[in-house]
Amino acid sequence: MVVETTETTPPKKAPFGRLITGFWISFLSVVFGLIVWEIAARNFIDPFFLPPVSAIVAGAVELIERGLLFQHIAISLFRILTGFILGSFVAIPLGLIIGSYMPVRQIFDPYIHFLRFIPALALTTLFLVWFGVGEVSKILLVMYSTGFIVVINTATGVVTTHKNKKLAAETLGASTWQIFWFVTVPAAVPSMYVGMRLALAGSFLVIVAVEMLAAESGLGYLIWTSKLYFRIDWMFVGIFLLGFFGLLTDYAWKMLGRHWLRRYVRETANY
Amino acid sequence: MTIEMTKVSFAYHGGTSGLPVLADVDLTVPDGEFLILLGPSGCGKSTLLKLIAGFDKPTTGEVKVAGKTVTGPGKDRGMVFQDLDSALFQWLTVRGNVEFGLRMNKVSDADRKRQADEALRMVNLSGHVDKLPDELSGGMKQRVQIARMLAMRPEIMLMDEPFAALDAQTRQMLQTQLVTIWSEVKRTAIYVTHDIREALNLGQRILLMSAGPRAGIKHEYEVPLSYPRDQTDPTYIDLLDRLSKDIEEEVTKVWS
Repeated sequence: MVVETTETTPPKKAPFGRLITGFWISFLSVVFGLIVWEIAARNFIDPFFLPPVSAIVAGAVELIERGLLFQHIAISLFRILTGFILGSFVAIPLGLIIGSYMPVRQIFDPYIHFLRFIPALALTTLFLVWFGVGEVSKILLVMYSTGFIVVINTATGVVTTHKNKKLAAETLGASTWQIFWFVTVPAAVPSMYVGMRLALAGSFLVIVAVEMLAAESGLGYLIWTSKLYFRIDWMFVGIFLLGFFGLLTDYAWKMLGRHWLRRYVRETANY
Repeated sequence: MTIEMTKVSFAYHGGTSGLPVLADVDLTVPDGEFLILLGPSGCGKSTLLKLIAGFDKPTTGEVKVAGKTVTGPGKDRGMVFQDLDSALFQWLTVRGNVEFGLRMNKVSDADRKRQADEALRMVNLSGHVDKLPDELSGGMKQRVQIARMLAMRPEIMLMDEPFAALDAQTRQMLQTQLVTIWSEVKRTAIYVTHDIREALNLGQRILLMSAGPRAGIKHEYEVPLSYPRDQTDPTYIDLLDRLSKDIEEEVTKVWS
């Protein structure tokens, strides 16, 4: 005997058209903001403190002509992404183990919860002494700041995996190792994802500060040295590019979550 | 497989914190029976089920399945959880969830597909295999849980108020479907509920549990009626009446 049910399923996705409309609303908002800035900077504010948008664009063109801008962008992004990826590469397995195995947690916990309150900035000089003024120390500082955020979020994801999922897997004959690999790890993906997104933003903060203190290249260096030449417009170019690339990488991360990891992260990637 | 419980008591934290939830429970479930554990909330009926599942260990006494003492969960005892979401693997499709146990046990591709298809057919989900749990209604989610259990062909099917969170119409349809499945697979079923009509629609035998703490089996009722149960049958009405009065006594105890 077959029992027919009349249950309905919720709709699958937001219509594409609404996303397009949403994009244009955001776009117009930005255009409006830039226009207000331009008018305000030309009429009411001393351009030394806030140059108009047009002057910043001119400054950017000048930097491009001198052949320096793309180099600064490339080296900053290289440091951020390398440190972020390597940091996550170390932090995810560590977080998984810390979350699931009590003795390991007890070994690492005091270090993690002590060190995570020491910002990478406080260690910058020390890392330069230890690892030299080259790229290694800078990448390690980004790894350091990324690592703690990702470890803690990953371990939290493991710890908060619902008991029923593991019990269900046990009644289905899964071994301890299978439960870890096929239940705990996928269930912790949303937490890893969120942790890595926060860490990505954190990487920008760290690298700019490090480049201001100890570098001859990068967007942080550009912002810092602009001061020496009284080039407020160049400073704004650096500031704008940081925001722009931050937004871009965050957007890329969000799209990764929405498309490739959709079934794992679900609504976590909606904002 | 026969289930035997002798002098089983259970208290949280090994009895160091307060009175036991269950005290001195003796219970035998013959192979193939559809047994109901009925009682007010907090009477320990879910605890009893968890002891059979092996999720918890009795503080004193022993739980035996097919003559062997239960030491933990096993694939001979399937489980359907009350909660709609927490027990499903939401990153897997309906088929992925149903095939999970078969994959973990390295069942061959052909057998896996056959057993999963059969389970999906029994719960009438064959048309929804590629959906994710988020895209399903509550009733469908519970049917995925049932299919996931059936695919493993467990000797004993344990169900902890699986339809309690569903609306009345869906619940009734699923009760009918469950009886059909049970008579097809001919395995032992133990079903926990606080709903008297549900108990009468499903069970061959109903164990009414007393209110906790120190809960136990208060009375036992045989249901000498054929399936599907006719709710206008005088025996059904008489049992409904007796069970209502019996359970009311227990509820009053909790509230007074």
